[in-house]
Amino acid sequence: MSRILKFLLAANLIALTVLVFVYPHLMVGPGKLIPGHRQLASDCFACHTAFFGADSGRCLTCHKPDEIGRLTTAGRPIAKPLTAVAFHQKLSSQECVACHSDHAGVRRYRQSGHFNHALLQSAMREACQSCHKAPNDALHQQISGNCSQCHTQEKWTPATFNHDRHFKLDRDHDTRCVTCHTANDYSRYTCYGCHEHTPANIRREHIEEGIRKFDNCVECHRSGNKHDIRGGEGGEGRGKREHDD
Amino acid sequence: MTTSLWREHILPFTALLMALAVAALLGDFFLHRLDLVWVGRYLGIPGILLIVVSLVYSLRKRKLITTGSPKSLLTFHEFTAWLGSLMVLIHSGIHFNAILPWLATIAMGVNVISGLVGKLLLDRSRRHVQGERERYQLRGLSRPEVEQAVFWDAVSLDAMTQWRKVHIPIFIAFAVLATGHIVSIFLFWGWV
Repeated sequence: MSRILKFLLAANLIALTVLVFVYPHLMVGPGKLIPGHRQLASDCFACHTAFFGADSGRCLTCHKPDEIGRLTTAGRPIAKPLTAVAFHQKLSSQECVACHSDHAGVRRYRQSGHFNHALLQSAMREACQSCHKAPNDALHQQISGNCSQCHTQEKWTPATFNHDRHFKLDRDHDTRCVTCHTANDYSRYTCYGCHEHTPANIRREHIEEGIRKFDNCVECHRSGNKHDIRGGEGGEGRGKREHDD
Repeated sequence: MTTSLWREHILPFTALLMALAVAALLGDFFLHRLDLVWVGRYLGIPGILLIVVSLVYSLRKRKLITTGSPKSLLTFHEFTAWLGSLMVLIHSGIHFNAILPWLATIAMGVNVISGLVGKLLLDRSRRHVQGERERYQLRGLSRPEVEQAVFWDAVSLDAMTQWRKVHIPIFIAFAVLATGHIVSIFLFWGWV
């Protein structure tokens, strides 16, 4: 390598090094900051701790947890909050960077509007309706609360519950949930909620066949099809208490 | 320039370079399609490690190490550097954020091109031009007439020779820029 080439190479690399220190947000910053943090663009260590990344503790120097979603960092009321409910006060720990990314290049890798519900206090985790509106469809209008029976906190759809695994809802059983699941308890059921099945006629039909344990219907009947019957010996199922009552 | 030099030498070189570009674009496309963009963020690590490992050949060439067949190590150098460059290109993706890593990517690209020039073009082209000279001489052309006949091939060859000289300085530039990028990631990213 000639001396001139070495000199040019060294001069260019030194110039670039200087630029890194003068314009760090352009040279090494992964994209623009959110508009609210624009004034911090060239002050990397306002948010970052060397070798440990963005530090949530530094966020809290400006963003008081009690005021997030209610007041601005200047103490003025927020006219149009980003979320309907101020839930930051219900977080179990103040790990801001678990959900928030300020640089455009980093935000690209996060799903906007999503956060890990495990960060909420346990009592708040169960109170879905304090933040979420119940769906307006006929199914969900019959239910209040206890969403985790059918949905995870990772994502609403698909629901984790597959009714066909327990009982197939054919055209004869295309009915309202509360016909079988009373008291808003979907862990139990009754088959005596309609006019077709009564304790008396069910008892008679089973005794005629020599069947004495018939308190847990779905143990043998997984659909309304009379030919789709499985033998069952136990009878100690979910439906037991309902029928005992 | 005779068509044979283009068809037999420059075209394969262009094809190999295009293969790198197409593989990078396909890799990026499928990572986006399969919702695995996060994988691209980490591909820079194996990519740069492969490039570092490829330098074993450079150490052998400069006799800083004495073990290993130079020919095998050259093949290893070409393969690992190509694959590492592909990973780094996918890692870079199509997103333009900071200037420093993009300068490093550009330097790496120039480095790959200069390496491919050395691998595919230089020796073969040198032989080709020499063969052409001998052919024209056998046909009884005078020396100035021979030089006239191979003028454009000779110009291309000179240009390639210059590219070869670029390989080491541009690698140093790439190494410094990539180190700056890596240091900045360690400095600002939360690894723990």
